[in-house]
Amino acid sequence: MVTSSFGQESGKVFMAVRILLVDDHPVVRQGLRTLLEGRSEWEVAGEASDGIEAVEKVNDLQPDVVVLDVTMPRMNGIEACRVIKQKKPGVEVLFVTQHDSPQMMREALAAGARGYVVKSNLARDLLEAVEEVSQHRVFTALARNPNTAN
Amino acid sequence: MKLRILLADDHEIVRRGLCALLQKREGWEVCGEASDGREAIEMAKQLKPDVVIVDIGMPFLNGLDTTRQLIELDPSFKVIVLTITDSDQVIREALDAGARGFVLKSDAARDLVSAVEAIQSKRMFFTPRVNDLVLQGFLDKGHAISRNEAPNLPILTAREREVTQLLAEGKSSKEVATLLNLSTKTVETHRSNIMRKLSLHSIRDLVVYAIKNNIIQIQMPPQPSATAVTTSPETTVV
Repeated sequence: MVTSSFGQESGKVFMAVRILLVDDHPVVRQGLRTLLEGRSEWEVAGEASDGIEAVEKVNDLQPDVVVLDVTMPRMNGIEACRVIKQKKPGVEVLFVTQHDSPQMMREALAAGARGYVVKSNLARDLLEAVEEVSQHRVFTALARNPNTAN
Repeated sequence: MKLRILLADDHEIVRRGLCALLQKREGWEVCGEASDGREAIEMAKQLKPDVVIVDIGMPFLNGLDTTRQLIELDPSFKVIVLTITDSDQVIREALDAGARGFVLKSDAARDLVSAVEAIQSKRMFFTPRVNDLVLQGFLDKGHAISRNEAPNLPILTAREREVTQLLAEGKSSKEVATLLNLSTKTVETHRSNIMRKLSLHSIRDLVVYAIKNNIIQIQMPPQPSATAVTTSPETTVV
């Protein structure tokens, strides 16, 4: 069962953006969680360690945003993204990856992702990327040639 | 008095995760964070940490050479190597470099705290998976892993290994010279010596050597995919 999370700030009631973290390294998920939990309007709804588990958890938890790694065991992130977008088109996918490659970024966007950022620049890009993607806007930034497109 | 830990990993997100993991323990503090091996050595000189945690795949100076240089600098440095690479060659090199601990990144959330505790108690730490690999290597090859049976690498000096990594990362002699505060001519001399010692004939050969010997690591595209993923492998650090 999915429970909605609410918060209140300056008299306004808002629904938290629910985020699913997907990476095969627990320590990376912990790092992502640490960065994201700094924002009171965001809630880390769950974690998954590969693409198959991600697809299952999207069904179970119905997150707003999936933060997804590319290289993972069992099912890679590109495939997982395709399946997630096919089953739940309203869920937005943000890739967080070590592949600092325009070609991989194009492939991710073609699979239905709304965002693509590289791990080496996460401190700079992650919060803005989640903000944009949760608003259904595109955010991409490579380390070699930073560029955002909204 | 707090146990002071220096972290070296090129990915800030990994450092964040490691910090969160380590700082849950009362009496431990992360006294510094470095994003490559050269920075780690400089910070270790200044901060004199009790434990240094180094990722193997870092730019400019990889974790194995960072460990070697730290131990050469001061044998009392306690280094834990953190890696995604679990080949027995890497384990052998880490032991040979003088690491006191070896933790796989995939197991870090479970094992890193235990590794630091072991170091704190003046013991070494190897994950069960690493122990299995070492044992399997022993059984397969019929001989023990020994610090004396060092392989291909020591024919290069520490400086030559640094130059090898930087050239294999795609830097020009001039760029290497700037990074290492050497003259371009000195770098070119190192380069000729490296090529001669290793019997290599081109930069391509040098890159292959660097990958085979864990001086740099290669990043592969994801697989398997339902549709062909056409991205070429890229040389990078993880």
